[in-house]
Amino acid sequence: MSNEEMFKELSDAIVSCKKDAVIATVEKARDEGIPPAEIIEKGLAAGMNEVGVLFERGKLFLPHVMMAAGAMEAGVALLEKDMPKDAASKKLGIIVNGTVEGDVHDIGKSIVSTMLQSSGFEVHDIGRDVPLQDFIDKAKETSANMIGMSALMTTTLPGQKDVIEMLKEQGMRDDIKVMVGGAPATEAWANKIGADCYAENASEAVAKAKELLL
Amino acid sequence: MTTEYALRMGDGKRVFLTKEQIMADLQEGSADAADLADVPALSGDELERIAEIMMTPSRMVGVEPGKEVPVTHDIGTIRIDGDQGNSGVGIPSSRLIGSMMHERAFGADTMELGHIDYSFKPVKPVIAQEMQTMEVCQQNMIVPLLYGAMPNMGLYYTPDGPFENPGDLMKAFKIREAQESMEHAAGHLTRDTVWIMQRLMASGADGVNFDTVGAAGDGDMYASLHAVESLRKQYPDMYIEVGMAGELLLGMHGELEYDGTVLAGLWPHQQVKLAAKAGANVFGPVVNTNTSKTSPWNLARAVTFVKAAVEASPIPCHVNMGMGVGGIPMFETPTIDAVSRASKAMVEIAGVDGI
Amino acid sequence: MGMPISHIMTSGMSGIRAAGDLVARMELAKSMRVGDAKDYVAKKLGVSTLDLSDEYVMRELREDLGIGVITSVAGAPKGIAAKMNIEKLLDIKINSCEKFRSQVSK
Repeated sequence: MSNEEMFKELSDAIVSCKKDAVIATVEKARDEGIPPAEIIEKGLAAGMNEVGVLFERGKLFLPHVMMAAGAMEAGVALLEKDMPKDAASKKLGIIVNGTVEGDVHDIGKSIVSTMLQSSGFEVHDIGRDVPLQDFIDKAKETSANMIGMSALMTTTLPGQKDVIEMLKEQGMRDDIKVMVGGAPATEAWANKIGADCYAENASEAVAKAKELLL
Repeated sequence: MTTEYALRMGDGKRVFLTKEQIMADLQEGSADAADLADVPALSGDELERIAEIMMTPSRMVGVEPGKEVPVTHDIGTIRIDGDQGNSGVGIPSSRLIGSMMHERAFGADTMELGHIDYSFKPVKPVIAQEMQTMEVCQQNMIVPLLYGAMPNMGLYYTPDGPFENPGDLMKAFKIREAQESMEHAAGHLTRDTVWIMQRLMASGADGVNFDTVGAAGDGDMYASLHAVESLRKQYPDMYIEVGMAGELLLGMHGELEYDGTVLAGLWPHQQVKLAAKAGANVFGPVVNTNTSKTSPWNLARAVTFVKAAVEASPIPCHVNMGMGVGGIPMFETPTIDAVSRASKAMVEIAGVDGI
Repeated sequence: MGMPISHIMTSGMSGIRAAGDLVARMELAKSMRVGDAKDYVAKKLGVSTLDLSDEYVMRELREDLGIGVITSVAGAPKGIAAKMNIEKLLDIKINSCEKFRSQVSK
């Protein structure tokens, strides 16, 4: 079997959301001599991307996403001993995610956190109605690479701008990326407030996080 | 030099497009909807008609005489004395004044009484105020007056409600516990909604408008459908409107069913059948606007979804066309030119029974 | 407010200015599609469906039938009274009218 065919089989196993299938396919790929890093990146991670797309298209649902993520973790755990220490469990980046102060919406934000986590990021979801300084404090505490902020009301949207201003005042703006989202947020708004990116939905959040951090 | 037409982006910003660009975006938007929901894309003729509407050299367009439809309202009277968060314009006035203003000054065909914290759960502690207001409004008004609120099942999760947040449980891989939490919350939401509407009906309400059904996913719709069913049994003549939150019903639970149909993953033409089965009189399909795409892309996409829903529906469809939905730009004050064009397209091409 | 007003001006039947409330009532009360609702109301009013959004036709007709007019005519039925006349015209029951009747001493 060619490597490309093997990567497809790995990806399909993830999309099946079945842990046993993923474990069996990872073992098969390992036996065929495919480097562990490629098994993860070109096989399993590609499968998780596909899971994200299928979720946005209504073909898979949140429990499936979690089962796929669990299966991926199991697959990665199998490869740990074949990789340099900590390489297998290395996260793509650290992200602090939350809904800004005054805003109690969190369904969309939670889905974004789940998808980012499933895609290999270390996500610290700090909830909703988050005091603005808490985004920065948590980012410092976790050495985060990115802050993600959601707002679902026009009245709370300015909180996203305020956090960016606070990052500048505290000398942290150049060291951390900022992603914004939520119903009233737009690309134009993100540009206006100096955010690094805007994401329309959870899949886009994953894609843009990867673009900015990898 | 090719003629360019002043249109809008999904965020409301003005953009200039040639006819070729407009047609390309219309085709792409319609194809996206058709592919997602497995429904027919708009025909060449339909796309041409939308293009003509969009290229009309006037600020506003209008439907042909005889094609006018009733306009129903979400949020309703709060638009007058409410704050920015409720799209309100902050004119100090009572909700009676707001209702009568809509009836007598703005030409509304129906009206909705809503609470400033526009969800069902917060209505319970202030039910007497809502009942009293409904009584007074009904004595003075002529157009149908519904009571409206959002199911907003998220309010039943911690810290606002008694059930553990399923998003947190899911992230901890506690899938079954997350599903149970949603099931319990749905039960409470159904019970609360029915309790509230029993009191509003006793106060003379014409009926209920469920706004943004499905905002918290399939559990939210499950609860709402059961509330509709229960209310319909008790009040055979009640007006019941079910308006959705988005074109896709998100599968947060994944396994909840109504009438043997899995709710997760349903599109508007599928959602409407269940709403009708539960006992709704009017269904409000919703299609969210993509702020990074043009208004032709967004409108063609929205019309494609809604047309399929209208054709599949046994009950009237009043397409949701507020801020950021139904092809309308996602902007606090949606531009009149874009609203007018989307309105006409929905009536004349999607064939809606109301807006 | 510009958005709902824009919809009403573009596509709406303009409520009690014409016959929009009556068509809306039939959609909501009997789940009638817009075409059927218009046919029903037009028949009850003795007008064409084109007339249902025509202020010229509806203004006088509404006052004659006592079903509520948009300008505040002293002595013309308003509120519950107008709705009771709508009940008779459209052959439906309106909840607020039922409540009113139940509260009035026999």
